[in-house]
Formats: sequence, C-alpha cells, structure tokens
Amino acid sequence: MNKTGIFYSFNSTKTAKAAEKIMSEFGSDFDIVPVNAEELTEVLFLSFTNLIMGVPTWFDGELPNYWDEFVPALEDLDLTGKTIAIFGLGNQIEYPENFGDAVGIMAEIVEKIGAKLVGQTSIDGYNFESSKAVSENKFLGLILDQETQAKLSKERIANWVDDLKAHFFM
Amino acid sequence: MTTFPKVFSIKTTPKEILEKWYRLMTLGRAIDEKAPNYLKQAIGWSYHAPYAGHDGIQLAIGQTFEKEVDHIFMYYRDMLTALSCGMTAEEIILNGISKATDPTSGGRHMSNHYAKPAWNIHNVSSLTGNHTLHAVGVARAIKYYGKKAVAISVQGESSLSEGFVYEAINGASKEKLPVIFAIQDNGFGISVPKKDQTANRKVANNFTGFKNLLIIHCNGKDVFDSMNAMHEAKRHALETGMPVMVQANCIRIHSHSNSDRHELYRSEEERNYAQEYDPLFKFKRMLMRYERFTAEELEAIENEAKVELKEAHKLALKAPDPDPDTYLDFVLPEPYMPQKYIDGTHQEVGENKKLITALNETLKAEFRNNPDTFMWGQDMANKDKGGIFNVSKGLQQEFGPKRVFNAPIAEDFIVGTANGMSRYSEKIRIVIEGAEFADYFWPAMEQYVDSSHDYWRSNGKFTPNVTIRLASGGYIGGGLYHSQNIEGSLASIPGVRIVYPSFADDAAGLLRTAIRSRGLTMFMEPKALYNDPKAAAVIPDDFEVPFGKARIRRDGEDLVMITYGNTTHMCLEAAERLSQEGVSVEVIDLRSLIPLDKETILKSVKRIGKVLMVHEDKVHSGFGAEVTSMIMEEAFEYLDGPVRRVGSSFTPVGFHRSFERMILPNTDKIYNAAKEVLAF
Repeated sequence: MNKTGIFYSFNSTKTAKAAEKIMSEFGSDFDIVPVNAEELTEVLFLSFTNLIMGVPTWFDGELPNYWDEFVPALEDLDLTGKTIAIFGLGNQIEYPENFGDAVGIMAEIVEKIGAKLVGQTSIDGYNFESSKAVSENKFLGLILDQETQAKLSKERIANWVDDLKAHFFM
Repeated sequence: MTTFPKVFSIKTTPKEILEKWYRLMTLGRAIDEKAPNYLKQAIGWSYHAPYAGHDGIQLAIGQTFEKEVDHIFMYYRDMLTALSCGMTAEEIILNGISKATDPTSGGRHMSNHYAKPAWNIHNVSSLTGNHTLHAVGVARAIKYYGKKAVAISVQGESSLSEGFVYEAINGASKEKLPVIFAIQDNGFGISVPKKDQTANRKVANNFTGFKNLLIIHCNGKDVFDSMNAMHEAKRHALETGMPVMVQANCIRIHSHSNSDRHELYRSEEERNYAQEYDPLFKFKRMLMRYERFTAEELEAIENEAKVELKEAHKLALKAPDPDPDTYLDFVLPEPYMPQKYIDGTHQEVGENKKLITALNETLKAEFRNNPDTFMWGQDMANKDKGGIFNVSKGLQQEFGPKRVFNAPIAEDFIVGTANGMSRYSEKIRIVIEGAEFADYFWPAMEQYVDSSHDYWRSNGKFTPNVTIRLASGGYIGGGLYHSQNIEGSLASIPGVRIVYPSFADDAAGLLRTAIRSRGLTMFMEPKALYNDPKAAAVIPDDFEVPFGKARIRRDGEDLVMITYGNTTHMCLEAAERLSQEGVSVEVIDLRSLIPLDKETILKSVKRIGKVLMVHEDKVHSGFGAEVTSMIMEEAFEYLDGPVRRVGSSFTPVGFHRSFERMILPNTDKIYNAAKEVLAF
C-alpha cells in the first residue's frame, strides 16, 4: 500500500485538532502517519506517496511561517506521482477577502511541481468575498471555519475523507 | 503569493548580502529592544515606537533607497529602515536621546524621527501620513528635472485614513510621478484596529481605482518577499515613471509605543500569534535550514552587533546636549535683502499701475529672472483665464504648463506638494495660490502648520522656499466664504512671514522679496483693491520692499493710526477728514505683520501719544491685539490715553450688503473711534 501522511504543525491548536479528526475519520483500517510540519525535511516529505497537508491561513492571506520556510525547498522537488490533498482553517467573517488563501497558495505550488491535487470541495454553504483557494467554482481543498461554522466541520471532514479514500486507497 | 519576479531567494542570494542583512536586522533589533531602557534610566528617548515585526519590509525599503539620489520620507516606526538606508547606530541613538549632534534635528524634534537631509532622508512630521504630500512634491521635481530617481513615502496603514493621503495618491496618479508608497500594515493605529479604519482589510485595495497606480502586496515579515516587492516597485517606478503602492503585511510584536499597553486591548492569544511570527527569528531559521550560515557564524554576527551597539551607546552618551540658548535660532531663515530700495520706498514718477497689474508683472519678471520658479493653485491656468481674479493671466502661455499649472481642488495638496518640491533643490522657488479665497485655506492648515516649523525642527537644514498667495478680505459682498480675513489666526504660528500690502508698489516689492527669499511667506492680497484706482501706484521695474519695514503713508502729530490692507485707505480717508477739522493724523501702513516693524511703530507712538489700531480682521484676538499689547509693554509711559482698536465684529462676515456694512470697519467707524481717542 502507498504510504500516506498527514502534515501539520504539532504546536498548533485548531489545525492539530482538525488533523486528529481527519485521522479518526479514516479509521483504524487506514494507516495515516502524522508528521510535524515544523520539522519537515525534503527526504521525509518525499517518502510519502499520498500527502494530506494542513495549511491554515495566517494574517491577511499568508502561509504559516513553518510552511513558508519550507517553500524554497518544496519548489525544487519533483512531486510527480504524488497525490496531495490540502485542508486549512480560515475565518470567513473577519477575513472575507482572503478566506482560506493559504490552501490556494500551497495548491498552486504543489501542482506546479507535478503533484496530483485531490480533495476539491464545494464552496456552497460558505459566505466570503474572495479566496485564492477557489478555482473553477470549487475550493482546491477542504476549508474549515472553526470560528463561525464549527458545527459544520464534522460533516465536512466526513465527506472529505470519503472522497480522499477513493483517491488514496482505491 | 506575490506575482512579481523572485530576484532574491534564500538559495541564490549571495552570502555577503545575506550577512549584511542579518547584521542590520540584528543590530536594529538590539537598538529597538534597548531604546526603552534610556527612558527608564531618565536619559531620554521618551517616545519610542518599536518596529519589531516590520523587519522584512523595513530592511527592504532601506536596501532599495539610493542615498543622495532617491528621496525617502520615513515614519516614526522606521528604525530599521533608517539603519538599512545607511544611518549608523550612533546616529539612531543621538536622535533617540536628543543630542546636539543628532542629524535629524539636534534635539529639537521628537525621538524616533530619523532624518539625514544630506542624503535625502527627509525630516518628517509626527502627523501620520503628512509627508505623503512631500514625497509627491519632490517626485514632481524628479520628473521635471529628468532625474532617474524615486521618492519613497513610508507609513503605517492607518495613515491611509487621512484625507491628505488620498490627495497625495491622487496627485501622483494624475501627474504620473515616480513615488513608492510603502505601507506597513500591522493591523493597528495605536489601539485602533483596522476594522475601525476601513471596510477593506487590504487597505491598499481601496486605491485600485486610481489610474497609473500599481499596487503590490507582500509579506512584510519576510525578508525575501519584501525585497522582491520593493525591487519590483522601484523597477516599475524608474522604468515607467508611475507611482507604486506596496502594502506589506506586518505584525506589531510590542505595544504602539512606550506609553501604550497593548495588553489592554489585545488578547494574549493574538499577541502570542504575533510573537510566533517574529521575522528576525524566521530569517535566522531559514539561513540555517538552507545551510547558508552555521549557528556559530550567526552567533558571531550577533556578538559583533552587540559590540557595535555598545560602542555607539558610549559615543552617543558623550555627545553634547543641545544648547538651550539657541532656542530662537532657525525660526525663520534670513530673507532676501533688497540692495537698492533698502527701506522699501521710492521716488519714481510716471504712470500709476493697479495692484493686480503689479502682481502679474512681478510674477512674470521673477519667472524670467529665475528659471527654477514654479506656480500652481486652483483655477490658476486654463487658456485665457489666469486665476479667479486673473492675477496669473498670461503666465502659463509664457512659461509653459510645466512651470505654471492648475492644481486639483485640494488646498492641502497645493501647500504640501510645494513643501515637497522645494526639498529637491535650494534653488527652487515656488509660488502657490493657497486657495481661491483666504476663507478656503483651512483644509491646508495641517501642511501650513507643519511647514511653519520645518526650519526649526530640522535645526536649520531645511526650509520650504514657498510664497503662499491668498486673496483676502471683504467689501465685495462675498459673505462667509469670500470675505474673511485669517491673518489674526495665522499670526500666532511661528515660522512664517506674513505680509499684507495696501498699494500696488508695495505689493510688487513685497512679492519680489518673498519669491527671492528662503523660507515660507504668507502673501495676503486685499482683493477689493485689485482694480481699485486708490491702490494704484507708480512702480519701479525692480522695486523691492524688505520684510519688517512699515511705511508712513501720512505724517501727523495728534494721533497715529496703525493699519494694513484694505483699511489703510480708510484710515487715509479718515485722516483727511480730520485734517479738515485741524487734527493732524499719522498713518502707518505696516505692510509686514511678521516680522513687525516695532521701531517705526514705537517711534511714532512715543512722539504722538495717541494710538488707533485699525484692521479689517476681527478685533477679538486680531493682530491688533498683539500690536496694542506691544505698545502697552514698551511705550506705556508715552501714551496719552488707551489704545483703541477698530476692526470687524466677532462674527462671520454676512452675505447681504447690510450685514457687511455692519460687520466690517469703514471710514466712519475709524473717524468716530479717532475722535474718542483724541478726546483723552
């Protein structure tokens, strides 16, 4: 079976919780390896075939520093043959102009270097002005809004994980 | 993601450049953290606005600036920008603790305001965004003289809420000027969050409708993103001559200043969030992660920075304090001194010219005399119309639209860009119509006040060489916005000369002297006299009137009337009536209010003993109150009665002619008041 990892900051709070829920949703039949994005190396990153990246949006539409610092290394990798799904947290009420931007920024980077991006989701049910995570009327990953739509997260994660199972394990 | 080219990256930037950057950032942060200690030890630096969290963009702005070529206007949080521009740690501390050798101001201006005029690092106000107009003004000169350079206006995002910042950006867009507006967005204006400033979190996007303006967003916390953004901004401004706005997202790790406590309005979570993205630590991590430097190499740089700071600290402490006895220096620069007409009088005979002709011909003569003379204002030049009263008629046709042109209907812009353009070169002289009428000048007051103390604040290193013309006063049935006098309000502000002629020859002579002088001159024009034959006079072609020289328009023995502007003629009429009753009245036309010719006033007062102070402006706190008090203080024992004042009532000037007659002074009121004084 292809090795699957979920990459997120172990020092984060909300993103870490979301990652744990995602792993839980996959269930024990699937081996999802948690990796601390703050200690990531190119070798470790490339050792996985399926990658789930936790990329919350910081400030007015930026990558968190741990991902931003990895980008120069990432841009020089060849991700051909890798399948990547991205999730991230955002706040559509306070940051409607850049809701979930970091997901879109990371999606653009990994696609550019050969990765196959999966796990696109519907924008229905969200209310925001603009987002770099939107392409062809869909989010390029899963966007969770724990600040204003926390109650919807459980179902969104469940649906997303179902979709990923199909891409990663079938 | 920014869309500009990645010229700089962690993997490809030469090591010596990375080292320079890390050295600057480490040194800057060390000073930033040490600054509050000077206050705690009662040495100084009572105002410190820490920059931590703005490290990336401040480094980049300074690295983009080319000293003595570009022009930069920094704001009070720009400590690393100043270092990155090339200023030394010692110079930063000299400013912080207000030493005489502080290159910004010699201890006259607030701490945390860094400048080095010799390098075109300009001395700026503390009023947020005030210098945006100066950057646009100096860029106008850069464009006019064809220099390959940019003007950089650095400021916080909250300054974009100011109306004059809008005026500046509008002007740069309209005139296609090479200005970089570098906006450091840390989310707060002191304690006011961005959501209370504007609906748009990306505040630069409020300006997307401006033509010719490129807007770039970058991560101001990241060295490489900031460097690439500023590099692209400068390339664009130099190659196209167009303005650029760079919005750099920063964080404010500490409080606004050392008098602010951000824990009162920022949650612990938010403060930790900011702390976590410390740009200096991020840069350090990247230098090591990508194996550009070892931890030992970086530690060595850090230690060297500590030594440099220690040395700078020692030198700064030893530097002399300012001499408080110099407090009267640099209020106003020495004016142009007339060589031929030393007291501003003449014996020329010939044809009388109207006051408006005097102004028009003098402007033309001075524009011919100095090719670096410029003029702009509202309604200034459009085909055959030359100003609302045609004072500037024919000037654009003769001198071209690059030297004589219309300004937007934005008074603060008119004054602010004059200040800015005059920073480009000492040889430049600027004449502006501050507003269509003096009554409309108030929107320009923030620039007026700021310009008034440029000379003092910069320790004599910069003075705006600007003459502000204002059509003033009533007697035209103009009402509230076309009839007021404002010199009484302006006279309490040091640093500006104020002149107010009554006759055509004095108008010509004072205007010539104002244009040729260094410094700021407010030139009030009694518009009711523009075409009035009684203000017409014979004018020598080269006539000059020195500042601070009153003119005795009529000799007398029984009463002295001290006046200026419109009321000079009323005083002369009243004096004539009184002479028919056997009373001899002297009439002194002040011509200059600041500086005031105390010598002439006191000489007449001491000789005559009875005084009537007359002006068109309000009696209440009008300029006559100052003259009267001066007489009381310096010639009380010579007075034969109280000094009476005649002027407007303490009301606005009403529109209906009957209101105007009631409110403004006239010959009858002056005559009656004179009789009362004479009765003592």
